[in-house]
Amino acid sequence: MYVIMVYDVAVERVVKILKVGRKYLTWVQNSVLEGDLTRAQFERLKAEVREVIDESEDSVLFYLLRSTDWLERQNLGVRKGEPKWML
Amino acid sequence: MRRALYLMGGGTLSRKQNTLCLEREGAKRYVPVEQVLEIHVFGEVEFNKRLLEFLSQHEIMVHIYSYHGWYMGTFYPREHNNSGYLLLQQVVHYLDAEKRLDLARRFVFGAIQNLLHVLRYYQRRGKALEDILTALEGQLGRVHSQQGIEQLMQVEGQAREAYYRAFDRILEDPDFEFEERTRRPPRNRMNALLSFGNSLLYTAVLSEIYRTHLDPRIGFLHATNFRRFALNLDVAEVFKPILVDRTVLSLVQKRQIQARHFDEALGGLYLKEEGRRRFLEAWEERLGTTLHHRGLKRHVSYRTLIRLELYKLEKHLLGDREYRPFRTRW
Repeated sequence: MYVIMVYDVAVERVVKILKVGRKYLTWVQNSVLEGDLTRAQFERLKAEVREVIDESEDSVLFYLLRSTDWLERQNLGVRKGEPKWML
Repeated sequence: MRRALYLMGGGTLSRKQNTLCLEREGAKRYVPVEQVLEIHVFGEVEFNKRLLEFLSQHEIMVHIYSYHGWYMGTFYPREHNNSGYLLLQQVVHYLDAEKRLDLARRFVFGAIQNLLHVLRYYQRRGKALEDILTALEGQLGRVHSQQGIEQLMQVEGQAREAYYRAFDRILEDPDFEFEERTRRPPRNRMNALLSFGNSLLYTAVLSEIYRTHLDPRIGFLHATNFRRFALNLDVAEVFKPILVDRTVLSLVQKRQIQARHFDEALGGLYLKEEGRRRFLEAWEERLGTTLHHRGLKRHVSYRTLIRLELYKLEKHLLGDREYRPFRTRW
């Protein structure tokens, strides 16, 4: 399933959460990552995120799409990052 | 879903922040390690032992290709699926001449069936292939009476020869005339495409073998020797027609790959970077294409289908169920 992860956390945890996110998803722009995961991978990602955030203060959102058929990404301005498999 | 990562250009690949990072001209590009199935290296990529350790932990293989796109070798991480019993059975089926011949026949039979299938597909699209189909059916009928591996390989060779004659009639494109099969080096564009596609299929099957209990060094149709993996070559025979040949034919027919995508070198013709990219895109798309599996009653991708084929082979070796090669029905 396709996952878009968006986070808003306290400054001191920004680096930590980015580090976790990058293991599973591709960085798209500040505080946004996305990619194709299995259910199990998604559960592991959530578990790892819980480890680093302070649940009374931080917020992390996941948007889940069953497939990318209905996803259209439009971009204005600079393209900062996108999932790529041929580098 | 895990997928293949292709490194076309140069740079340094390293472990960074517990994930993969490609550094090129000072720019860092992170790749989510959890999503990587295998890595294909075409460019001048540098890496170190720390990276290989990390890849081993994540069970990610690295396939290396030369400048001209030839398969050079594989970093095969530590085995994690070990079964002494299956290995023994694999050896028994290799050493017992009858058992080995039986398996080899099944691979050749499956291969020719799928060759026929590809040609019938083009026949339905109005190509005159009647005589070639008859020739192939003849070879198919001879498979089960062959008494040795050598003869069996000859039958397959003759079937393929007849089959390749159909290519010029299907394509009718002077830039992509087939003439005859040439390797090392491929002497024309069609041969270059087929060789490139075949190497990709060999590595794809090898990657799937790694995910089963089978030992890639012991093949049945292709003799086990000191050089390399053999089992992936056997299984690849069954899939070549539907995966490689169809990809090649459709890329040429749709003019996605053209004469300008090739370069002459070492007395042969090779795909240039742009052509290689186009091929790889089409290849990934084909491996990811799903079809309905009657036994499992769900959709599976061709990549998964290769693995299912290996499970069938395991069952055959263990004496649970006789192996019947995959056959397309579209």
